[in-house]
Amino acid sequence: MGMSTQHPESDSAQGPRADSPTRLHTPVTPAPAAPPRAGGPRPAGAVIAVEHLTKDYGHGRGVFDASFEVGRGEVFGFVGPNGAGKTTAIRHLMGFSAPQSGRTSILGFDCWAQPSQIHSSVGYLPGEIALPEGLTGSQFIRFMQGLGGRADGARLAQLLDLFQLEPRGTTKRMSLGDKRKLAVVTAFMGDPEVLVLDEPSSGLDPIMQERFIEFLRQEKGRGKTILLSSHMFSEVQAVCDRVAVIKDGRIVSTVRVDDIRHSETKTYRIKFAALPDFGAFLTGGGIQVVFADQAEMTVEARVRDGDVKALIQSLAALRVADFQECKVTLEDHFFHLYARQPQEGRPWNTPSR
Amino acid sequence: MLNAALLKQTVRENAVLWTVLTGVQCLMVFSVAMNAPIAAAGVAYYNLLPGIFAGIYAITVGNRLICAKVDRGTLAYVLATPVRRRAVTTTQAAFFGGSLLAMCALGAAAHCAGAALSSFGLTGADVRTVLELNLGLFLLGWAFAGICFAASCVFNLTKHTIATGGGLVCAFLLLPIMAMFGQNYAFMRHLTIVSLYDVPAIMAHSAGWFWGLVALGMIGAAAGAAGSWAFTRRDLPL
Amino acid sequence: MEHAIEITGLTRDYGQGRGLFDVDLTVAPGEVFGLVGINGAGKTTMIRHLMGFLRSRRGRCRILGGDCWRQAAELKRHIGHIPGEIAFPDVKTGLDFLELQASYTALRDLARADDLAARFDLDVSAPLKRMSKGMKQKTAIVAAFMSGASVLLLDEGSTGLDPLMQKVFTGLVAEEKAKGRTVFMSSHMFDELEAVCDRVAFLKEGRIIEVARIAELGGNEAVKEYKIEFAAAEDYQAFLARRFDLTRRQDQFNQASVRIARADIGALFQALACLDVKFITQVPRTLAAHFAAKYHDTEGAHHA
Repeated sequence: MGMSTQHPESDSAQGPRADSPTRLHTPVTPAPAAPPRAGGPRPAGAVIAVEHLTKDYGHGRGVFDASFEVGRGEVFGFVGPNGAGKTTAIRHLMGFSAPQSGRTSILGFDCWAQPSQIHSSVGYLPGEIALPEGLTGSQFIRFMQGLGGRADGARLAQLLDLFQLEPRGTTKRMSLGDKRKLAVVTAFMGDPEVLVLDEPSSGLDPIMQERFIEFLRQEKGRGKTILLSSHMFSEVQAVCDRVAVIKDGRIVSTVRVDDIRHSETKTYRIKFAALPDFGAFLTGGGIQVVFADQAEMTVEARVRDGDVKALIQSLAALRVADFQECKVTLEDHFFHLYARQPQEGRPWNTPSR
Repeated sequence: MLNAALLKQTVRENAVLWTVLTGVQCLMVFSVAMNAPIAAAGVAYYNLLPGIFAGIYAITVGNRLICAKVDRGTLAYVLATPVRRRAVTTTQAAFFGGSLLAMCALGAAAHCAGAALSSFGLTGADVRTVLELNLGLFLLGWAFAGICFAASCVFNLTKHTIATGGGLVCAFLLLPIMAMFGQNYAFMRHLTIVSLYDVPAIMAHSAGWFWGLVALGMIGAAAGAAGSWAFTRRDLPL
Repeated sequence: MEHAIEITGLTRDYGQGRGLFDVDLTVAPGEVFGLVGINGAGKTTMIRHLMGFLRSRRGRCRILGGDCWRQAAELKRHIGHIPGEIAFPDVKTGLDFLELQASYTALRDLARADDLAARFDLDVSAPLKRMSKGMKQKTAIVAAFMSGASVLLLDEGSTGLDPLMQKVFTGLVAEEKAKGRTVFMSSHMFDELEAVCDRVAFLKEGRIIEVARIAELGGNEAVKEYKIEFAAAEDYQAFLARRFDLTRRQDQFNQASVRIARADIGALFQALACLDVKFITQVPRTLAAHFAAKYHDTEGAHHA
């Protein structure tokens, strides 16, 4: 069992894609991702539907005209900085807030008008966990079982074992990690059809994160519909089918994770063993070179999968010292969307409020 | 050895409690002085109430000065700077002693003021009696403070500090009351350090009371020093 | 001074397998050193020793050549620290707190604190009690970095930060490194460690089971893994016959994953030149995968 993601490649299934603008003088970091095709086909029979949801808290905060759907068995991710509106959207789905305009529904029930119908089939993991005081973990679990009216001892035991949670201690004395585990267990113990998870893995240690990701994949395999918000790109990239990037309350991009992971145009970083080989490659032509460093005898070449044979044949005749792929990640995509004009001396400064 | 920044912060943190306890005490002793001559009020008043005030102050502030900061983790910020642990204990102890002294001094002043304004008047001998009573009171508080401070230095959890330091101080305060319930309990008077503050002896200007106060002073100093010594050598869960 | 941080033979047995056991590590001046491990593996215990909050029973810890316990107070002139659990003293606002910290260190100039707060988009005049988790964390970060300390001990310094702020944080650490400062940081986030660390130690049950060099991971490995798909089954079979070090076969896709050392890359291209390759992609070894493998290896060893 590893933390890396393994799954069948499906590159050939993708349609052609316009090339991103040529980039120069960015030696190591991968190219900023051109926005991959948004959306994809509408999932048949949306389990979670958000239509033009708007809630304005003033000062540019809230959610504005957000629309998305999550299909059965789909894992949908939300990424964005704090205050971008992730939790607001989730609170509407849970029926805690009334939309100003627009509508949210889960399994066909309106989240605001019929919240009780929803709650019986939704497992919810809040972002800020405030556990009632004076209870032990087991008492809290029983309390939640009582509220939900569902009890499955075997599943509970399985979850406790999986996340290595010992719920005997009082919630007050639990570490943050244990509290998060307790919240994870209570969200999943009723085996609900739909899961709404607000930053589920924050506070979990790396091994538990890995276990949690594996667990989410299994739940997805069992047909569960999952909406999750996260700050961890690696987690989102590992479990989500689609990801929405939220910026200032608006969904600025929805991408299929596979599109990012298996881009049809790849960038390779090639280091040659000697200067003549480096020169021969550059003069050889036919391959788009986006970066070249003579001192390092290194080039970065952008190649469509259809043209990879030409690259291989050209490299077979040269002395190659190293060959790497510059991968575009969800994180690159995110920061591309969030990129701003760098301010003087403060490359990553965000505008002050 | 004292750290000015820490002292300022400690004063700020404890100012409200100190002001309330001192204010209430001053008002009480002032009204007592208005209504009874010093010779009569002394035994009745100093035997019980101020000791309880000093006890409350010692238990609460004693815990706050060290243990609560360890328990909550806020001491990490102080010790993340070039402030020595010894400087922390010395500063906190200095505040503890100083604030108790000020409390008793103001109490003495209020007592004298009340007496002076009353129909009974205030003589030079009265002033001396009041000062001696309050010196004793200070040293009793000092001993309590030393015990609570030591507990605060030794334990990581507030509840352990309160149970140990507070438990001892409460026991010391309750034992003389128990001793009042007949001959069978009289021995209890010998189990408490409160007896070292011999109010009737001070009032009667009889000999011997002075050494009791010296003993109280030494108990406080020794407990505080021991606590400080332990604190500089022990592991902190910060 | 050879090492900025030096831990030799540090052992601290809390019983039931908890604590630290025979930890040896050195961090060079100007290095960014990361520490990961599951909760309870001993990360915080290690940082508490370095901070002089815990006295080492066996072994010793030194920072800039000074003993972490005996010279705890003096060393703090050179140390910036973010504690694992943030609990502020009883002051009103973030600024009050920063000023209080500055007064302990006799720091007069708060210009750097201002600059840091601006970078983190932090309003220091906000009351501490009403601050969100993220704001509290930012305040703690500002306090640790404002004095320009030459050694930074950061216990999960970026928890509760969102991705944008995370980036500001890693940018700040990189900047400190560029100034020659030494950073020792624990984290739960591999992405962050990969972004800033030179080396990362993995701690399991109080022992360091692996120290990874980031420069040798994340696609930069000496032995790389590539996934290659062929257009036709014959080409795929022909490739398999070449006896490369295969890590994975997916016959239904004509897909093979191979491990290739730098020196053998030429041989790979020569083998591929006459075959119909549909795509070639690299499977980088991430820090997460690297440690997961080590972790499970040691699990196996335990059970064997």
